[in-house]
Amino acid sequence: MNTDIKKGVIGRLCSVIVLCGITSCDGCNSKDSRAVAYTSVDQVFSEPVFRYCEDAAKTTVRGLFDTEETKSTGVLNRLIAEAANPQADVFWSGDPVRPFMLVSRGLIEPYRSPVANALPRSLRAEDGTWTGFAARARVLLVNNRLVPDDRTPRSIRDLADLKWKGRTAIANPLFGTTTMHVAALFSVWGDDEAKAFLGRLKKNDVRIASSNGEVKRLVASGEIAFGLTDTDDAHEAMGDGAPVRVVYPDQDDLGTLVMPTVVVLMKGAPHPEAGRRLIDCLLSGEVERRLAESAAHMPLRAGVSVPDGVRGVDSLRAMEVDYAEVARVMERIQPWLRDWVGL
Amino acid sequence: MASRLGRPLRTLVRKQEEAALFGLGAAALMVCCAFPLVVLGAELWSEDALAQLRTTLGASRPWSLLAKTTGLGLATTASALTLGVPLGVLLGRMDVAGRKAALWLHLFPVFLPPFLLALGWFQLFGTEGPLGSTWTSSTLFGEAGVVVTLTLALSPIVSALTVLGLHGINPSLEEAAQVVSSPWRTVTRILLPLCWPSIALGALIVFALSVSEVGVPMFLGVRTYSAAVFTRIGGIQYAPGEAVALILPLFAIGLVLVAIDRWVIRTRSFASLGVRSDETTVLPLGRARTIASALVWICIVAPLVPLGALAARAGPHGISEAVTWIRGSLSTSLLSSLLSSGVIVVIGVLVGHALARDRPLARTFDALALLTFMMPASVLGVGLIATWNHPRTQVVYTTMAILVLGLAARYAVIGTRALASVFARSPLHFEEAAQIFGSAYAQRLWRISLPMQARGVVGVWLIVLVFCLRDLDTVVVFYPPGLEPLVVRTFTLEANGPEQVVTGLSVLQVLLTAVLLAGGGLLLRRSWGRR
Repeated sequence: MNTDIKKGVIGRLCSVIVLCGITSCDGCNSKDSRAVAYTSVDQVFSEPVFRYCEDAAKTTVRGLFDTEETKSTGVLNRLIAEAANPQADVFWSGDPVRPFMLVSRGLIEPYRSPVANALPRSLRAEDGTWTGFAARARVLLVNNRLVPDDRTPRSIRDLADLKWKGRTAIANPLFGTTTMHVAALFSVWGDDEAKAFLGRLKKNDVRIASSNGEVKRLVASGEIAFGLTDTDDAHEAMGDGAPVRVVYPDQDDLGTLVMPTVVVLMKGAPHPEAGRRLIDCLLSGEVERRLAESAAHMPLRAGVSVPDGVRGVDSLRAMEVDYAEVARVMERIQPWLRDWVGL
Repeated sequence: MASRLGRPLRTLVRKQEEAALFGLGAAALMVCCAFPLVVLGAELWSEDALAQLRTTLGASRPWSLLAKTTGLGLATTASALTLGVPLGVLLGRMDVAGRKAALWLHLFPVFLPPFLLALGWFQLFGTEGPLGSTWTSSTLFGEAGVVVTLTLALSPIVSALTVLGLHGINPSLEEAAQVVSSPWRTVTRILLPLCWPSIALGALIVFALSVSEVGVPMFLGVRTYSAAVFTRIGGIQYAPGEAVALILPLFAIGLVLVAIDRWVIRTRSFASLGVRSDETTVLPLGRARTIASALVWICIVAPLVPLGALAARAGPHGISEAVTWIRGSLSTSLLSSLLSSGVIVVIGVLVGHALARDRPLARTFDALALLTFMMPASVLGVGLIATWNHPRTQVVYTTMAILVLGLAARYAVIGTRALASVFARSPLHFEEAAQIFGSAYAQRLWRISLPMQARGVVGVWLIVLVFCLRDLDTVVVFYPPGLEPLVVRTFTLEANGPEQVVTGLSVLQVLLTAVLLAGGGLLLRRSWGRR
């Protein structure tokens, strides 16, 4: 009896485990020339770009992606946590502000990519620490069934309008691009006006969703009338056939917040050469074209065509912000924001 | 000379064998659980511990959040026990129609992170959902929604552990009870008190998981203590010191739970299995069978509705599309979960046996595993990064080994506790008899305890395997690039990924878990068939 059991259950269990142990050494071969890229750009868009760059830059790319809930900050904090022994070669940020937090901590290795010369000077750091390209914008996603054309919101201030009480949403401002948006408002309006605005949002029962993707979901399902999200989320909702429309807010005064994605080389990168090749590839016109088609990112270099349904950055009134200043404000207002959220 | 020295040496080794093997399990627990805790403690210290503690815990908000979160945890636990224990008894020992199929189906909601189930409930009960209205939506997006969602997601854990506990009871006891009493009294007076340690473990797991859950409350708009801890790790202001300060009250709650648990279990006795441990009697429900079966099936099908909604949304196209996105995540999930669950079971056997026999220090290591389990997964993840991300430990940090360590740290307590409860029912006199005849500890464990309890051990392994397969919160913090498990890939693709692909991946996750469990079940059945 005992022998049967031993061979039949425990023996098989152990053999399965040992077999798994032997075959799990796939990750042990780390001494090759592959590039390791951490990114807060949605995986559904960034992974195909990595696959393209594997061919174009002749390097293997291992990607590490953020979840929707911690968008931008999960990966960023991992980079900070790993600072003593960096694992990433490249950080491709979904917004232009997070990389400044790495710059201020001395975690970035300057790299002036020759491919970046075709990009506007304002998108390249003078010291070579960061380079921006394909951009998104912060937009209002409006449910067509719940909001007639003549009541279409035109400004982010409409989120605080009493006629929409309890029927609007923003993502949690402690995570993702909403943090940057709030910091940009503090930077442009000043603390008092920005705090008053957020106070009005609270009084208006604006729903705090866990992510921009959830804002999209709430609007698309008709749970709320409209919400603040990113262009790629809006593009996905429209692509899915949801009854929604997109409004680029504040075109008459403040302007819409435009957020280029930014790529940086990490200091102490384990594979710096492969990392540089990957950066060159990411900054190419072909990648901007692909991102415009798949994710409605606005190309920032001249000569890249804009697909139907995607607005070119030249056709927008963009909010005038200093990204470095926004990064500083973002860190400064965190304790206040945590209080505002109730955490 | 050598032979004269060899004999006393062998005797000495034999005498210390039990301590050595326990030490091995304890050392593994130290590596998995204690190292990250110590490193996190140092983090707090490096940031001026007292000032940090004063600032973080001096405010009133953390305490009000803690009170609210504890309340939600208790409500979820009470509801999960109310639902899970009767279902466990009915499915484990009563002649409910189709009880084996029902038990398998009942486990399905546990196969996925609760967030996906919340998403399924939203699709049904959101304002514009097929069963939705303003009222259902406002109820879902609130404390009631969190409790109901987590109850339906976690109650199968209680049921499964109750079934496991019932399987370990000597049938002679209930047969004796049945001679003089009704099935109802047999259940309430004999069976339930005897499987109390399993039920208590279920309650502990549900409470810890519901208190540390971040995704569901955040999605349903409820502010919780774990979300506050998470903002210190996942938010823009990376403040691990503050996060560590915030988990200290959770540790205090953990210690209170340990104390309560010990006080309660100390007053109970375990029933020995004897030699009839593999026999299972099924009690007749009599005239109540039809109604009871109907109620059981309603309770089982209801939590499956969101899973059905996900599967319907995925459709065959979504599943075939998901296969193109899956890449290596399926094999990563499979291997890391098999390895982790294997490690946990080995630790569980070594430490759990010592715990069952009330050996010195066993309770200390049990408490260590429990505290690690109580810690929010994001904080544990940061502790693991700080512990293992060094040039000399790259072979751990950049490979699947870090996944195994992380999962073992998080779920070790389930293995040690569940196996302790299994071994506690094993008759001590068999081991004592073998010891009198000179059998060493390892031999007794290998040839007596494990074979006698093989069914329980495999059952615990399957439960731990499910936890490892569904884990998202722990591994998402530190998984190596290119080695993301399937659940992590589902969640990173959830950001703007085609909904059909995301739901298709979720369906594949459920299928993978179901196939593994079915394989484990078959393994168990075939082994028993040979006996």
